[in-house]
Amino acid sequence: MNHLDDDAELYALGLTERERDAEIEAHLAECGDCRARVIAAEEAAASLAAALPAAPADAKRSDAVPARAATVRRAWWPSLAAAAAVVFGVTAAAEGVIAQSASAQLARTDVALTAIASSHFGHTTLTSDPGVIAKALYARDGAWCYVVATGAPRGAHVIVHRGAAARDLGALDAGAPATLFVRDPGRPDSIEVVADGRAVAHGKPAF
Amino acid sequence: MARAYASAGLSAVEARPMVLDGPAFDRAYREYAPRLRSVAFAVLHDRDGAEDAVHGALMRVWGGGTYRAERGALLPFLIACVRREALDALRGSKRRHLREVRASAGDPLAFDDTAALDPLEARRVRAALETLPAEQRDVILRAYYGHRTLAEVAQDTGVPLGTVKSRLAAALRRLHSTLSEGPR
Repeated sequence: MNHLDDDAELYALGLTERERDAEIEAHLAECGDCRARVIAAEEAAASLAAALPAAPADAKRSDAVPARAATVRRAWWPSLAAAAAVVFGVTAAAEGVIAQSASAQLARTDVALTAIASSHFGHTTLTSDPGVIAKALYARDGAWCYVVATGAPRGAHVIVHRGAAARDLGALDAGAPATLFVRDPGRPDSIEVVADGRAVAHGKPAF
Repeated sequence: MARAYASAGLSAVEARPMVLDGPAFDRAYREYAPRLRSVAFAVLHDRDGAEDAVHGALMRVWGGGTYRAERGALLPFLIACVRREALDALRGSKRRHLREVRASAGDPLAFDDTAALDPLEARRVRAALETLPAEQRDVILRAYYGHRTLAEVAQDTGVPLGTVKSRLAAALRRLHSTLSEGPR
């Protein structure tokens, strides 16, 4: 293997291709020049690391459950507000209002926040009647589903379908936007917002 | 520089090749864990994830016997290992969406030494960063404190990838010489 050149510094920063790590370490075992260069770079990187903030207070994992929820909430708060803004902001400017209020709503919904922070989620804009804007966020593993809607009739229910089976996840709340957070909805083929026996919004999540 | 990381309690640990050895692991872990956790936490923003990354990196180092004393002081080596582990976890599927969201929302590029784990060292680093040419400082902030991939830095700045790499490498070399020479 050739000398590392700039890869010496990039390796110290964790920015080389991971497949090369073993090769790089093998080279370092042989080559004093590259080793000295990587050691210097790692020292500089360690100084950069000293300027990072401390991780939240230590806790034993066994008693970390309640504390963890709080930590996750605190740690992810800005990111999740941003997440919601991005998720809801992807569509037209007409949805600016829902984007803003949905992120505020998200921030208030602690349980949703915690679940979202710890899982891989997708989102879909539901095809809606005029005057209705609805979106669904869902965990890819089917652990939760979060539906946000504006303009849906009060008391509308969220119904999910899987194969021939339909399941009523419950009613959207009376907030503006109206929301519903449900645990373990599974991985439905489709999600509908239904009022008076009629779907006012529907869409298909992509798990 | 290396002396800054040496500690009396750990010299015995550092003096011999690492093997999977409970007491040595425990001792180094207790000594270094806060700093290693902060490295992982800065990348992952999740305490349990950070803990996993620290454990993963340490187990790999200890289990693989990949560390030798001539490889430099133990802490900088471990910091590099933990950061690689954390970046891998970040880039894994589990948190990819959040990384994308964070990247598109724009993490602050500000260097915040008021919250630093090691305020004295942070002040020294800030002073050293300020002596860098602006384009080198920028790439350090983006790649190190913003946790962007090199490709993302290239994309965000419109600078060719090769230039991003050489700038970052040059920045780190320059930082090292500034920090080695400067007063502690």
